[in-house]
Amino acid sequence: MDRNPFYFYTSSSLVELTGEKANTLEELVGLLKRCTGSAIFYHVFQSYRERHFAIEKYHSDFAQWISNSLDEEVLAERLGALDARDFTSIRALREVIIQIIEDHLQEHSQYRDRKGKTPFFFCQSVSIIMPTKYIAWDLKDFCQIFRSIGIRSIHYHLVEARLRLGIHTNDFSHWIRTSLNKERLAKRVEDIDIYLHTLEEIRRIILQHVQEEIGS
Amino acid sequence: MSSIRLSDYGPIVGKQTIEELHLLAEGLRGRRIKMVNSTAVGGGVAEILNRLIPLLNDLSIPTQWTVIKGGEDFFEVTKKIHNALHGEKLSFPSRMKDIFLEVSRENLRYVDLDQDVIVVHDPQPIVYVEAREKTQARWVWRCHIDISNPDEEVWDFLRGYVEKYDVALFSSPRFSKRLPIPQFLFFPSIDPLSDKNRELEPEFIDQVLERFHIPRDKPIVTQISRFDRLKDPIGVVKAYRMAKRYVDCQLVLAGGGASDDPEGEVVLDEVRAETNGDPDIHIILLPPTSSLEINALQRASTLVLQKSIREGFGLTVSEAMWKKKPVIGSAVGGIPAQIIPSLTGVLVHSIEGTAYQIRYLLSHPDFARKLGDYGHEYVRERFLITRNLKRYLLLFYVLSHPGERIIHL
Repeated sequence: MDRNPFYFYTSSSLVELTGEKANTLEELVGLLKRCTGSAIFYHVFQSYRERHFAIEKYHSDFAQWISNSLDEEVLAERLGALDARDFTSIRALREVIIQIIEDHLQEHSQYRDRKGKTPFFFCQSVSIIMPTKYIAWDLKDFCQIFRSIGIRSIHYHLVEARLRLGIHTNDFSHWIRTSLNKERLAKRVEDIDIYLHTLEEIRRIILQHVQEEIGS
Repeated sequence: MSSIRLSDYGPIVGKQTIEELHLLAEGLRGRRIKMVNSTAVGGGVAEILNRLIPLLNDLSIPTQWTVIKGGEDFFEVTKKIHNALHGEKLSFPSRMKDIFLEVSRENLRYVDLDQDVIVVHDPQPIVYVEAREKTQARWVWRCHIDISNPDEEVWDFLRGYVEKYDVALFSSPRFSKRLPIPQFLFFPSIDPLSDKNRELEPEFIDQVLERFHIPRDKPIVTQISRFDRLKDPIGVVKAYRMAKRYVDCQLVLAGGGASDDPEGEVVLDEVRAETNGDPDIHIILLPPTSSLEINALQRASTLVLQKSIREGFGLTVSEAMWKKKPVIGSAVGGIPAQIIPSLTGVLVHSIEGTAYQIRYLLSHPDFARKLGDYGHEYVRERFLITRNLKRYLLLFYVLSHPGERIIHL
């Protein structure tokens, strides 16, 4: 097997305002059906990156809004329980979100037109992806770089990668598995619950796993 | 203009952020930018440009600054337009339009528009875009004000100009309009190295408290704002009084605006009457050059309030959060963009809610400290000048890749 190096990239995004807003769950479903995939991606995976230092009740903006603005905790919890690792396309994610809300409205039609305290503003993003100067040839290099690489780079390779590549993994695990042939470590990194840790905590956990692998 | 260098921000935002900015700037070297606004000093926009432009130049992106010139009649018209965009009803006769257009066109005769990107700030110089056919530049309209509920006649007039730009930038999703051009979210920013926000010696903070006769024997609850009804200083006094029945504290209301604003003086008198001679209420009138004093008062505070009834973006919230202060803010204007409820601060909707939160936060210092810590991190992530700089760099790429959602460099 070839030993390819790991190239660290970083991603930044500019938030685009679509001018669309939803005041009720019915309007939210309508917009979810016709908004761009980029808007779904932004509200589920990207906007929380700006709050990476804290663990909130929900990662997804949709769940947050439904909880904070509509006080619809049951629905917020159902949406909040969606796991990015179960999806490899935005299309599939969009369908499931819409289905969950529509099912909820079937059960509780009285909530269909209830106005939230504040509207939900649909945004989407334009991502700019660029290589950093950091390249890891082995786990020792990886460790050294990973200690200080930017949070956005970690988010890009760990979270955004799944939807970008359409794979049930992330860039780190993919490289560790295919290039270093270390299945156990690849799996340990895949198994990290990205919802229960801040990105800094995830950095520490990955470093610990890698160091254990080097020492073993 | 300041001689500050990007590297000066390294200890504050971290080496990775500075590296990322340099990396982004590499592909933009030599691109010529022009910023156009209506004033070189005073006001939030000038404050931001005074720092942003040297930083862009420091990254080898030559950036010029042009200020539109006009007489009293022009700025009277632009002030009215500004208020009308905020929702005030305005009769907008053709005489006013003529003054607005003539002065703008006169300015255009002398301005160098041989640039790659021209960023026009706010409505005053909006007409500059009439010259777009004569240039190769991409045109950007940066709107710093809330135009969600404008006077329709004024907005219809301006809309024709806005639509000629390539993109528009707004400070909050709430502030934007439906437009046929792309719109991007650009938060305003604070400068962590400015006098208003930089670290201060504890001795200086003590001196400021002494100067204003504020003892340290009780928690200090502060609102920094102009004495303006829209900032609800009376509501702040009422909330303080309701809270003080349960927790002993003192109130600092500090700001300027009374000397040059006749209504400000009336409001100030009303606030004084409302205080009823309470020795624990400190009303402090500050001249416009009081950045260090404001900084010291914020740093000495236990809690900071921004109980506005209406607000622009309300950057005083970020200023306080940067100083790790727990903030209680009204859910108006740009304040909800800064306060994530119970994470980076507390949002309130009434005097009673404000009073309750003062009681709660003064009784739960651990929770209050956590809000302050998270608030500080949130500002570092979103509302510092370095983040503003990054947004501009990203924007310059986006302008060269219209319609693309993912841009690989």
